[in-house]
Amino acid sequence: MRAPAWIVPALVVAAAAAGVGGARLLAAPSVVRDFAAHAPGTATRRAVFVVDGVRCVDTAERAAGQLAGVPGAIRFTAWAARAKVEVTYDPAVTTAEALREAIEGPVHDDSTGEFRFGVFAVREVNGVEVESIRR
Amino acid sequence: MKRLRLAMQLAVMVAAAMAGVRFALGRSVTTVETYCPFGGLETAYAFFTRQRFTCAAGETNLALFIALLGLTLVARKAFCGWVCPVGALAEWEGKLARRLFRRPDLTGAWRVPARADRMLRVVLRAAVLALVLGATWTTGELVFRGYDPYYVLFSAHGHDVRAWSYALLGGLMVLGLLLPMAWCRYLCPLGAAIWPLSAGGLLRLARDERTCTACGACDRACPQLIEVSRAGIVRSGECTLCLECTGACPTDSALELRWAGGKP
Ligand code: SF4
Ligand code: SF4
Repeated sequence: MRAPAWIVPALVVAAAAAGVGGARLLAAPSVVRDFAAHAPGTATRRAVFVVDGVRCVDTAERAAGQLAGVPGAIRFTAWAARAKVEVTYDPAVTTAEALREAIEGPVHDDSTGEFRFGVFAVREVNGVEVESIRR
Repeated sequence: MKRLRLAMQLAVMVAAAMAGVRFALGRSVTTVETYCPFGGLETAYAFFTRQRFTCAAGETNLALFIALLGLTLVARKAFCGWVCPVGALAEWEGKLARRLFRRPDLTGAWRVPARADRMLRVVLRAAVLALVLGATWTTGELVFRGYDPYYVLFSAHGHDVRAWSYALLGGLMVLGLLLPMAWCRYLCPLGAAIWPLSAGGLLRLARDERTCTACGACDRACPQLIEVSRAGIVRSGECTLCLECTGACPTDSALELRWAGGKP
């Protein structure tokens, strides 16, 4: 059966739309790190950050390292391709702002033993640009 | 159709360049890799075995790769002919080579005998694909970045792009003049991955022997060097459905796009 020529670009556009639109169905994290088991029955909260500097599994692992040992941080999950980080925390112990500061803090470089500044910069906290929070 | 295809190729190219520059300037956290379907194949192993993504790959890469497989099952390598910016550049280079070397067709300066060409397309591309996937799946890193023309061209000097990456890209561009579409024909791992599906694509070009005058205009227009004028139905897995051949055909209805299985 004859096919019209426009079917080719139409299929290309449909495939691109299906790919971009269907991405959410395949959402899986790049990195998950548990810091502490939270006591059953206690309330937890989640803070979602967009972090400049988180762009792959390695950098996400490093960002997770920034929260290791931070009181109240329970679980770190990163989606590197979107620079997105979600931290589950105990609101009785810490806050989203304190977690942001921990992420943005100096990063210890294991190979040189030195600390590096400005490795991570949080752009958004819970969907709000950081500048607007500061203001 | 020719104009529409050019417009789509240019739009993709501009979008890719803008994504690269915006990321490099710190205006966006989305890199140009996010929209590469090959990243989806690279991360598929980690996703299906551990529900994790590899390195900087994510769900958009994987979803685009799956959508590409669907597209290829119907419309062959239409991705290569209508979307891929590297394919577009390679095609334009081929047209430039035709002028430079005064060729009637798109074969460029070096002609590879048809048999060797077919064998090299399969063997070389499969080897590159196996190498890239093997290295990515064992290291958990997107090791191909520095070699990938798409990433080197559009990432605005992205992560892992080194001086040798540009040297390699330059070499490939020179090669693309002498041997048009050399990257796509012999090296592209994504082309290798979709080729088996493309060969069975539901849409295909059909030539009507009753109206065809055997002028060979379609052969000369085909960027993939397919001998359209000798085929009843173009079953080649290399066909990108670019429709250059139908555009070049001087006879009405000698070359038509058809669904597989339909009446001739
Ligand atoms: S063969 Fe590879 S580089 Fe060439 S157009 Fe297809 S995907 Fe793009
Ligand atoms: S056979 Fe026709 S549609 Fe297929 S690649 Fe060649 S010119 Fe394009």
